[in-house]
Amino acid sequence: MSLVDTVPVVDEGTPPSPTRRQGRRVTPLRRKQIITAYLFLIPAVVFFVAMFFYPLFNELLTSFTSGLTDPVPVGFDNYLRALSDPVVIHSFLVTLEYAAGSLVGSIIIGLLLALMLNQGLRGRVVLRTMILVPYMTSIAIVGLLWRNILDPSVGILNTALHAVGLPGQEWLNTAPLQTLIGITVWQESGYVMMLFLAGLQAIPEEVYEASKIDGAGVWTRFRRITVPLLAPTTFFVLLVGVISSMQQFGLPYIVTNGGPGDATSLFVFQVYQETFTNQDIGYASAMAFLLLIFILILSFIQMRIGRRKDLV
Amino acid sequence: MTLAARPARRRSHRGLDDRLFPGATAVSYVVAILLALACVIPLLYMISLAFQSDAEVQGGTAVLLPSTWQWGNIARVFDAAPFGRFLLNSLIVAGLITISHLVFDPMVGYVFAKFDFPLKGAIFTAILATMMIPFFVRMLPLYVMFSNAGWLNSYQGLVVPFLMDAFGIFLMRQYMISVPNELGEAARVDGASEWRIYWNIVLPQTKPALAVLGLFSFVFQMNEFIWPLIATSTEQMRVITIALPLFNKESFTQWNLTAMASLLLFVPICALFLFTQKYVVRGIAMSGIK
Repeated sequence: MSLVDTVPVVDEGTPPSPTRRQGRRVTPLRRKQIITAYLFLIPAVVFFVAMFFYPLFNELLTSFTSGLTDPVPVGFDNYLRALSDPVVIHSFLVTLEYAAGSLVGSIIIGLLLALMLNQGLRGRVVLRTMILVPYMTSIAIVGLLWRNILDPSVGILNTALHAVGLPGQEWLNTAPLQTLIGITVWQESGYVMMLFLAGLQAIPEEVYEASKIDGAGVWTRFRRITVPLLAPTTFFVLLVGVISSMQQFGLPYIVTNGGPGDATSLFVFQVYQETFTNQDIGYASAMAFLLLIFILILSFIQMRIGRRKDLV
Repeated sequence: MTLAARPARRRSHRGLDDRLFPGATAVSYVVAILLALACVIPLLYMISLAFQSDAEVQGGTAVLLPSTWQWGNIARVFDAAPFGRFLLNSLIVAGLITISHLVFDPMVGYVFAKFDFPLKGAIFTAILATMMIPFFVRMLPLYVMFSNAGWLNSYQGLVVPFLMDAFGIFLMRQYMISVPNELGEAARVDGASEWRIYWNIVLPQTKPALAVLGLFSFVFQMNEFIWPLIATSTEQMRVITIALPLFNKESFTQWNLTAMASLLLFVPICALFLFTQKYVVRGIAMSGIK
């Protein structure tokens, strides 16, 4: 192999592996590996700095000023105002309620579906596909479709209720937040089901075999094995669910426009209103940052409790 | 423990079954089928709605099926607004972003999977941390930046904020860790350039993960709503997700046309999903592993 001669450092017997190589000495080969790695990383570093960290920094600066045009530094005023503003507090609480409702709903339905589909029902691939379709559908379509279905005068839901002798409802007036929760449960349960199915598949069959030998019944096995071993999955679903619910924008924007009144003014919808309708830029930036802080706290809790040590 | 590793079709004991209570399997079938129907019936109704006549959608009582299927609604929707253009814009934007994800995400994932270098942990953590940043935190600064650059109402304005994706990088990194090093090292000894090792040897081994990544990027970008809403104001640059609610606002009595316009986006995405659902399922499972 004449080509070997052209490679500078191969005199060690074992081929130098870039990942296994931990030597202090910076050999020419290792230097080449480091340079290669950095070259490959340049686009990513440029992108994430320009599109994430620089905007983040800008947003932080703006949140301590009166706004974009003729900015005046206002210290923590925007934050203090947001934390005591009944509109913001209301919107945060509504969002928490929305998150709690849609999570409880989609976890119950998603887990039930996962348990049922996991026992090898015939046609489970067809069922799984049907259940996942809403998740793959754009929020623009979902929002408009449900607005039509729920419409008090032309919607088919009330027509159906009348047909069976029940009174129609003005869903989006009498129970707006619950209705949005219902739409979300309809859309997201399939995704939650998939996460639980993955969690169920990860439980080793041996655990069940062993407990069967020990004489545990079906119910005991479910309660003592399935439920505890699904806890990490449930935890993941909860955290991811809260974080994505906190950022739900499409439904209030398309279906309710935040109303009636402020009943469905979810947090990011409120940020959007402050930014583009009220143009209170400094204030909106502070609100966005408060959301970031909340999400960071949740994420850190997840990293502490969930088994995410393998990330880095 | 025997060596007969895989008993054929062993019945799983993880779900509910008849030993839980008599008839549990039958109940499971009924409940699962009902829930699956509840998922698709509203969407099937949307198809029916799209083919109803104006009288049927404005009549006060909704009808389940059109008395005659109004195929003319397809042409009417294109006459009412340039939906061809909107759909094309969506395809261009989602297509460009998907290509960009497929080029960059595996490249970055490869570096974190196979190389050791100073600051590796810090850079990787920083990239992963971007997953926690809500879009609304960078929305306004991006808007200002792009407005100053004259990038609002342009394809680059719609594409650039999403050129790479931390989740895609993480997914590719996880997959590449399991790609064996030997081939690459042999090529390195033979004097192959680092780029060739990556492009010709490592990347072809990650095709299943690339399929998942490409599919998810495309579907999610086709469905993306917030940024196009903010970054475009001209009709020429409008994408279909933004066009739908606007169209509905302008012609709010013509639910049949709104539904037909929705189908322009729904049908292709749904068809794509049906043909590739194996990958979708794998992708969702991967998103839950870590």
